[in-house]
Amino acid sequence: MAAAASYGALLDAVRGVHWPARRAVSSLLPGTHHSTLRGTSAEFTEYRLYRQGDDPRRVDWRLLARSDRAYIRLANDRAVLPTTIVLDASASMAFPVTTRDKWRLAQQLTIGLAAVAHADGDPVGVALHDANGKAAILPPRTRRDVVAEIARVALAGDPGGSEPLAPLLRSLRSARLVLITDLLGDEEDALRAVRAHIVGGGEAHVAHIVAREELDPPRRTLLAADPEQAFVQRMLVESTRREYEERFAAWRADVARRWRAAGASYTEVITDEAAPRAVRRVAAAGEQ
Amino acid sequence: MTWLLPSALAIAGIASVVLIVAHFIARDRPVAEPLPTARFVPDRRIQARTTSIALSDLLLLALRVAAVAALGLGIAGPIAAGARGRIARVVLLDRSRSVLSLAEVRDSVRAAGAADALVAFDSAARMLTARSIDSIEKSAAVGSLSAALAAAHGVAGSLSSHADSIEIALVSAVSAEEIDAATVSIRGLWPGRIRVMRVRADTSSSVSSGLELPRDPNDPVVAGLSLLPRELGGEVRVVRARLSAADSAWGREAGHVLVHWPAADSATDWPARAILDAIGGVSSASGAIVARLPRLWSVSGRAIARWADGEPAAAERPFGAGCIRDVAVVVDPASDVTLHAPFRDFSRALLSPCGSARAFSPLDSATLSQIAGGGPLAAARILRGGADDVSRFTPWLLAVGALLLLIELAVRRSSRMAA
Repeated sequence: MAAAASYGALLDAVRGVHWPARRAVSSLLPGTHHSTLRGTSAEFTEYRLYRQGDDPRRVDWRLLARSDRAYIRLANDRAVLPTTIVLDASASMAFPVTTRDKWRLAQQLTIGLAAVAHADGDPVGVALHDANGKAAILPPRTRRDVVAEIARVALAGDPGGSEPLAPLLRSLRSARLVLITDLLGDEEDALRAVRAHIVGGGEAHVAHIVAREELDPPRRTLLAADPEQAFVQRMLVESTRREYEERFAAWRADVARRWRAAGASYTEVITDEAAPRAVRRVAAAGEQ
Repeated sequence: MTWLLPSALAIAGIASVVLIVAHFIARDRPVAEPLPTARFVPDRRIQARTTSIALSDLLLLALRVAAVAALGLGIAGPIAAGARGRIARVVLLDRSRSVLSLAEVRDSVRAAGAADALVAFDSAARMLTARSIDSIEKSAAVGSLSAALAAAHGVAGSLSSHADSIEIALVSAVSAEEIDAATVSIRGLWPGRIRVMRVRADTSSSVSSGLELPRDPNDPVVAGLSLLPRELGGEVRVVRARLSAADSAWGREAGHVLVHWPAADSATDWPARAILDAIGGVSSASGAIVARLPRLWSVSGRAIARWADGEPAAAERPFGAGCIRDVAVVVDPASDVTLHAPFRDFSRALLSPCGSARAFSPLDSATLSQIAGGGPLAAARILRGGADDVSRFTPWLLAVGALLLLIELAVRRSSRMAA
């Protein structure tokens, strides 16, 4: 609760933000998202001729009396969308080393999106790898203090190691997966897992965290070392800087294209962007 | 500890500071910094160096500073404090006939202070140990300051490497007979003052205290010499015939004067003169005879009597610890010249102790001042001559410095390979 309280400003800023499902959901539990099921809710949609097997209680008897035809009343059902936020806690997220801006923004996004989903009545949970490489999974829930729990789990996390995300993604059964990552780990495998999830009827969102220092590294001679691959050490000097920037931009564009092509909602978030704004962008990206 | 070249220490210190500063401003391969997107940096072989303000490569720094320090110390030339400022003392001990009491000489030697070298001298000089000072005896030979000073010069040369200054203490009667023509010149070679500790001189009679004559009452020379005081017998032996083995053995002893005064041609093997003639007189340091005297032989050695024309009539030559005097003055047996006082006066010089008649008169103050000299003590480095101030630590320190540089090279190479 205290952790959630420390994010009070963020929670206030995202209050009123809705995060609709990208398509009708097939959940049986009533919620705020359009359901693939047509039920008996009060929101009338249309009439349909009675077919054998329909529930006789759904027949509009007044219409039958006027027209001598048996119609049944159809209504759109509303369903919940269980959401699991997958937080990438690999070593590359602890960047820059001194400020850990990527990890801090990822935590804020996790809490903000959880709050938005929770406000929409959706069960929400979180999954990440802990410091020992074990998966810490908080299943989607709707109880009142779930945002605080998610905040506690997210704040307890410590980025390190290079555990792959794909196995974790495959193990989750939530209808909506939200991946908050820098995509510098097993991006290909993660995309395959997400594609399978989408094909299975789920929806996926990816918030691609990019540090400002990655876009604009210090303008001095730098022996860049990949924190997840110690053997990758490259000399970044003025002569190689331009090529680095071009390669990085091309990779980001390619990633965005491939993830969007897979049906996922892709949002690139730079670390100097305010967390509430990033939350709104991620949530809004789903509507497009 | 003092230094032959202190400025080398300052230079080594400056070099060490420069080394340390250079290590602070290290230009090295950049330290790896995490950048998650490092994979997008072109993988090219780039040699880059960065400058940082931090103390780096402590082992190399320590080796370099140690090498510079060792080389600097080696060039500076450390001299042990024991050698610097130390005064070595050479004591010249006079045991010649000039001194009255050897006990007084020993006391003076002890009063001179601890001696690094002790040289006893009479006509010649020899080294003594501190223990043997009590066992030396007074010599009957004439003292020679020239020999003593020359010996002191040699000894001082060997002491110069262990001292800064060298003092010569001369314990002597410093009588006139101990000075010869070379003394002042030899003294001039000594580059410092000499401490003269004068002891009392032996001013007893210059004639030997005993006279041993052949028992031949008809011999005119024996008759004449027998008129000298009887107490002269004992240390001077007059031989009128050929010298026997016993005479030679007697003459070798210290203080003995063997006067070989042949009576006839058959009593000697001296070379005959080219022209046998006669001359009207002969003189010695103590008197002269005016008479017609034949000249049969030529004698060699230090002349103690001369014919009227200056040719040696009697000569002295050293023999063991004593001396032999060859007297070529032939007296007519029928003459009564030996019975008169001039003969006795003439003979006194012939019977005087070895080294001629004693000149025990004290040295004049001007000569004494010349011998003592003035100014500071002799500097050891002057005596060392060309080998001026060499530290025995220098080769070792230079070797250590070279070794450290080799180790530094090996460490540098290994660290490069590791990098």
